[in-house]
Amino acid sequence: MFQKIKENKVKYITIFACLLLTAFIFVQMLCVVTHTTLEALYESMLTDEIQFAIELSLVTSLISTALCIIASIPVAYAIARYDFWGKSIVNTILDIPLALPPLVAGVGLLILFGTTSFGHALEDIGLKFVFTPLGIIIAQFFVNVPYMFRILRGTFQGINPRFEHVAKTLGCSDTQTFWRVTLPMAKNGLLAGSIITWSKGIGEFGAALMLAGATRMRTETLPISLYLNMSCGELSMAIASATILILISLVSLYVFERFGGFARVF
Amino acid sequence: MISIENVSKRLGEFHLDDVSFEIEDNEYFVIIGPTGAGKSILLETLAGIYMPDCGRIMMDGRDITHIPSRERNIGMVYQDYTLFPFLNVDDNIAFGLKNLKMSSADIRDKVEELKEFMGIGHLAYRYPGTLSGGEQQKVAIARAIAIRPKVLLLDEPLSALDCRTKAYLRDGLKRVKKEYGITMVHVTHDQTEGIMLGDRIAVMMHGELMQVGTPHEIFNRPKNEEMASFVGIDNVLKGEIIDNSDGVAMVNAYGQGMVYAVTEYREGKVKLFVRPEDIILSKEECHSSARNVMKGKIVELQDMGALSQVDLDNGIVALVTKRSIKSMSLEIGQGIFASFKTTSAHVVLD
Repeated sequence: MFQKIKENKVKYITIFACLLLTAFIFVQMLCVVTHTTLEALYESMLTDEIQFAIELSLVTSLISTALCIIASIPVAYAIARYDFWGKSIVNTILDIPLALPPLVAGVGLLILFGTTSFGHALEDIGLKFVFTPLGIIIAQFFVNVPYMFRILRGTFQGINPRFEHVAKTLGCSDTQTFWRVTLPMAKNGLLAGSIITWSKGIGEFGAALMLAGATRMRTETLPISLYLNMSCGELSMAIASATILILISLVSLYVFERFGGFARVF
Repeated sequence: MISIENVSKRLGEFHLDDVSFEIEDNEYFVIIGPTGAGKSILLETLAGIYMPDCGRIMMDGRDITHIPSRERNIGMVYQDYTLFPFLNVDDNIAFGLKNLKMSSADIRDKVEELKEFMGIGHLAYRYPGTLSGGEQQKVAIARAIAIRPKVLLLDEPLSALDCRTKAYLRDGLKRVKKEYGITMVHVTHDQTEGIMLGDRIAVMMHGELMQVGTPHEIFNRPKNEEMASFVGIDNVLKGEIIDNSDGVAMVNAYGQGMVYAVTEYREGKVKLFVRPEDIILSKEECHSSARNVMKGKIVELQDMGALSQVDLDNGIVALVTKRSIKSMSLEIGQGIFASFKTTSAHVVLD
């Protein structure tokens, strides 16, 4: 037995490390969901505050995901298919939000929309982002758009341009080719990207906190609710938000793995 | 008629250099050349996927250089089939027809007719991922000819298929040309495919068009040594014409003695190309109608399947059947006479 372990030292050490890390992740989630009783959890979920947080989170994350899709499709396609001057710089800048701490992103957005004439001009036409639910959407969009962009870029790069060439010889214009061939072929990438963007959006905290603030029953998404309730000791309410966020993460991870096998975020 | 006039195109490491040739109506035109010769770019430039950097492309007297792909009426079939994976066989074939504003009943009839023609009637609702390579390529051909293109471009269409499917599809392609009267332009690196299908063959190397001609011309009368080597002519004799009074030149082949070849050249330094299968081996110097006889020693015997290659120390390479090797009991080190007819040598100026 010891001889066997000695011979396969690397195998056993690495598998042990694997199990240890898995246990660490699993136990912390288990601690959250088992911290209160099921009844208390159920009651908390029915409170107006958690209901509001669920609704606001759903609405903002769905809208920000839609915006991410709309913005990423043309941008990812251009980067995947065409060469243009300054492409590598553009490509790097598009990835910046991914590396930027969300709090810093939030400060940047706050300054852009709160202090510049551009922000004031938007405010004049009714688009107020500072300390409003609209700010949550923009914060989620800013932080998560690189995920959507990167997955779609990989997806478009993975589609052999010959499919588009054939479509053109069969009488399609560039636009028809995109709608009838490229987009259907990017279906899995779109789905995987949407899921990951949506789940990141629903959990977005730092940038949203900076731009939209943490006002109870106004800009209170699930993570904001978790933060507010933890700060004032309402543990069961905080746990309710945390449990919902964990469930969403697990489901979206599963869907992503299922449909986005070829897509790479990093 | 398609006429390609001085077309050049640079695309990354691939390029076309001042390519000019013509393709007749209803011709089966094969373009052969080694990998990276620029064959695919030429095809994609013809299809309108790339615009040439200079030169122009004419089709039936009309300049189509800047006409987009969709208006050229040129079909395209690739080696990797490129069937749309999210559409079934019927929808793949109907893809181009839907751009023609045909009624759905007409589209259905047309799809059925094409499936029958290609022998894939049973595939209707199957998706590309579930089909064999041969089946996919038949669907791809049906999809391309559905819109009745004037020209069908085929980029290595048979290269990924096994021998039997290849033979079946070769016949299929000939039938397409015959039944639909479509001009075929077929790119391949397989010379046998070129001989079997081509009315004419063009050879491309490093972005240039080397030679255009009938299969016989290409394989027996190569323009230069590079072409000769590409079409498998291993025997290149260099020499100088001493005399040519009756159409048969006497050539002083350096180190090989005098050789005779039919040519119009009267003087100058020349190269003689002789196909290895045109070399006759004999143990004794035989007096036959072949006027060129050279003595050599066997240095290598290589098994090539049905045939064997015999290399002699004087540089002559012969292809003979295995049976001959056995019956003549040829072996390495043995002295042997190699002869060829004056008409077997193709002479070019050096």
